[in-house]
Amino acid sequence: MTALAGPQVTTFTAFRATLRRDLLIALTRRNDLLNPLMFFLIVVSLFPLGVSSDPQELTRIAAGTVWVSALLASMLSLDNLYRADYEDGSLEQLLLSPQPLYFMVLAKNIAHWLVSGLPVVLLAPLLAYMLYLPADAYWTLMLTLLLGTPVLSLFGSIGVALTVGLGSRGLILAVIVLPLTVPVLIIGAKAVADASLGVSLGMHYALLGALLALSLSLAPLASAAALKISVN
Amino acid sequence: MWQWFFRLGSPKWFYELSGRWLPWLVVAMTVLLTIGIVWALLFVPADYQQGDTIRIMYVHVPVASISLACFPLMAVAGVITLVWKMKLADMVAKCAAPIGAWFTAVALATGAIWGQPIWGTWWAWDARLTSMLIQFFLLIGVIALRSAIESPDAAARACALLSVVGAINVPIIKYSVEWWNTLHQPASSFSMAEDSPFGPEIWVPLVIMIFAVYLFFVISLILSTRTEILVRERRSQWVVDLVAADKTQGA
Repeated sequence: MTALAGPQVTTFTAFRATLRRDLLIALTRRNDLLNPLMFFLIVVSLFPLGVSSDPQELTRIAAGTVWVSALLASMLSLDNLYRADYEDGSLEQLLLSPQPLYFMVLAKNIAHWLVSGLPVVLLAPLLAYMLYLPADAYWTLMLTLLLGTPVLSLFGSIGVALTVGLGSRGLILAVIVLPLTVPVLIIGAKAVADASLGVSLGMHYALLGALLALSLSLAPLASAAALKISVN
Repeated sequence: MWQWFFRLGSPKWFYELSGRWLPWLVVAMTVLLTIGIVWALLFVPADYQQGDTIRIMYVHVPVASISLACFPLMAVAGVITLVWKMKLADMVAKCAAPIGAWFTAVALATGAIWGQPIWGTWWAWDARLTSMLIQFFLLIGVIALRSAIESPDAAARACALLSVVGAINVPIIKYSVEWWNTLHQPASSFSMAEDSPFGPEIWVPLVIMIFAVYLFFVISLILSTRTEILVRERRSQWVVDLVAADKTQGA
């Protein structure tokens, strides 16, 4: 029996291997990496065209526009999270593995955030500049996105896991996930808007941090349960 | 000691019990609804500020309070579905979602009709209105997920999980919306606090209406669940017998 067991695989090794594998796959598929970013860029550029090119007006809507666009971009990139794994059967192997599913899901979510959430955070200042966001709000924008986009990935992961087995998903993912993300959007956009008013932002960061802690500890459990339901 | 609990989960048992309860519930609802509506529309004194507009409160408040109870109900049913795999809990959850969505929509609509003369606008991004709207979206999400998954068993567990996640989120959404709104604008004319003194001649009919509308919700839920039971259990012997007996009676 011991011969069958092979070398001992610790949870940490499995976690690292999953993370590495997902990052490598993402790097080989450049389009999947770039499309959400391009989408983010295009949606933000639509607002001046649709609303007004007046700098004052754009300044007023800049915080909300960047945040809403980041939310939509993260929604769009979610599809990559489990779909390919579901189709080629490796998701089933992941569910069958003796490792705790919580950490496997967490590794996949972290990999997903690194390739889709982090670029959005890094691109945000450029778009904020195009929307005439006041200079003192830049750090707040990046910091709130840094705290908020992982929450979007973690919440979104639950929705993807629930719908991964469906033939025609289309918009259902957005209908399920978007209402759940309301608190993140409210707090993030409000923090950026308040930053240029000189309001103290400790509470905003604390609330976002609390949401991140909550979703880090609970959302992967829900995702894991959802994957088990979807894959059967 | 758990026997009663699992018997509760038997669709057949529920079908028979609810069939015996239904007439009484309908009678109680009709009596309360008649008393409540007549009292609220004809005998409650008009508000010194809002005039006769205040009477819409007797529909709006009961409907809104029940639509808030809907998500906890679905979450409890969801936990029962996930833990004990009880079919009845899922049937109740499935039927509660559209009814809850309707109640939420009616609460939003009556709120708009009330808001128009009092606030001068059909819609305001007030904290309570906004969280009601988001709750409506959450319910729509659960309904959409249910209709998207073909296998009833997978749909049951997926919706149960989404209901639990949603129920955890509802208070977070509520508080974040309140926080967002109260910082946005100081509590102005949108507050309920400046109503006239809230005497018993105002709140007794309101309590009657709340009970009546609760009964209406329960009756709708029972009727809809009974239909769902018949549809899902159509292959089991007791439903076949029931339909056969019904046919011979009709002929």
